[in-house]
Amino acid sequence: MADPTQLSLAEASRAIANGELSPVALTEAYLARIAALDGELHSYVLVLTDQALAAARAAEAELKSGRSRGALHGIPIGLKDIYKTKGIRSTAGSRVYETHVPSEDAETWVRLRNAGAILLGKQETHEFAIGGPDFTLPFPPARNPWNTAHYPAGSSSGSAAAVGAHLCAAAMGSDTGGSIRGPAAYCGLAGLKPTYGRVSRRGVFPLSYSLDHCGPLTRTVEDCALMMQALAGHDPLDPASADVPVPDYAKALTPRLDGVRVGVVRHFHEKDAVAGFGRESTPTATYVETFDAACRTLEGLGARLVDLQLSPLIDYADTTRVIMIAEAYALHEKDYRERPQLFGRHMFARIGLGAFLSAADYVEAVRQRRELCAEFAKACAGVDVMVSANATGPAPRIDTLGTYSTFERASYTAPWNVTGSPALSVQIGFENGLPLAFQIVGKPFDEAGVLRTGYAYEQAAGFYRQRPPIAAPLPGR
Amino acid sequence: MADPISDEHWAFLLERAGLDPSKAPERFAELREGYRLLERLQKSVRRPRDRAAEPAHIFVHPKG
Repeated sequence: MADPTQLSLAEASRAIANGELSPVALTEAYLARIAALDGELHSYVLVLTDQALAAARAAEAELKSGRSRGALHGIPIGLKDIYKTKGIRSTAGSRVYETHVPSEDAETWVRLRNAGAILLGKQETHEFAIGGPDFTLPFPPARNPWNTAHYPAGSSSGSAAAVGAHLCAAAMGSDTGGSIRGPAAYCGLAGLKPTYGRVSRRGVFPLSYSLDHCGPLTRTVEDCALMMQALAGHDPLDPASADVPVPDYAKALTPRLDGVRVGVVRHFHEKDAVAGFGRESTPTATYVETFDAACRTLEGLGARLVDLQLSPLIDYADTTRVIMIAEAYALHEKDYRERPQLFGRHMFARIGLGAFLSAADYVEAVRQRRELCAEFAKACAGVDVMVSANATGPAPRIDTLGTYSTFERASYTAPWNVTGSPALSVQIGFENGLPLAFQIVGKPFDEAGVLRTGYAYEQAAGFYRQRPPIAAPLPGR
Repeated sequence: MADPISDEHWAFLLERAGLDPSKAPERFAELREGYRLLERLQKSVRRPRDRAAEPAHIFVHPKG
């Protein structure tokens, strides 16, 4: 078979199931790409060559004996380095945990491994999923696979860069204010933040207990559905986990959206961004046109569009920020007092602000959160899914991001952390050779509806077929 | 840009929080620059509300 890393996860899965592709060959091909290309991308902080090959051989033997674990059997993936891996260094991107070797696995990794996935390595993350891109840390920031001078977004930066450059078939990210969907947007991927409670957070370094979500980054929406099938489900040892039935996500994927009611939240990017955050948050003209074109594509697939009005974007974004800073500071307070010099500059500055928030500030933010959740639930009642902007322009250069830019500019992803809603980033076009994206947002636990909408759009629009030049086969393959 | 906070107030805030800026002077200098953002964030979430307006993290008991 020609270079198997050109196959999507779903395609590779079918080829393995049919006996046309060996998990060992697939793993070797990904490891060869990592060796050849990751010096430029910095997407991995640890490559597990021997372990991955051993797992691939075991997967192959199991398949040959007639036992299949399902769609992920023999599929090589990566984990953001905030996922704990037993006996394998897990740094959270920080000097604080630079040599930390956990004695437990993240529940999500256990589920993926039980489903047959093969771990290629641990992937670069912003420090504690908030402090990046930081050139003062021991791990260089990952680069955008479409243009390595540009930012892949964060904090799941290594995971997104690796998936985009075909250095793994899929990866796990985490999302507290947009850290799956932002990298998915800038790297041209599908990235799903599931409903709060749908996917276990146990064994993942927390940033903010009430806003953290774990989810997959993949090349296509179909791949995302296959990952979710292994990930979703109740974990009695995660106090936020919900005991809600898990549907068959792949079966929910259909090419048409006849009768689907789609609420369009336009005012976030058309009005609120500049009104709340100033001119620097102005969407590009290309983005506005591209968003509208994507909505027309949904209409062409049979969806019925209706404009929705919510509270201004800044209300959602600032609620997220106050809650996140307060919860994260409480988590790291001891280290801020005793060994602050170990933190990178972005992590220290962003979360350190939590030292000056009062208990009343936090409670007011949580009261505001309830109000926003209530208005969102009401708005949801008349539609099946919603769409809203993601980053409203292409990825900036990686050397142009200030310490506080993440708090000063509009965040289109934060609202769905506040509401805990499932939200999927899907690519909708390009600007200056870099990807653009929007979000498809659903009702609680309706990941199936979100994936269905994303799949139909993706198949009709076809942007997922365009891959960055760095994703091309290696010479001789 | 005007300094949003006096030296005395900054020293008071650090002491109240139990933080020692001498352990990482550059880090604390950058943190001080960010203090200006807090006022907006605090104002954004502190609004007139009915006393009965509950926060989002109260118990939600399972059905059944």
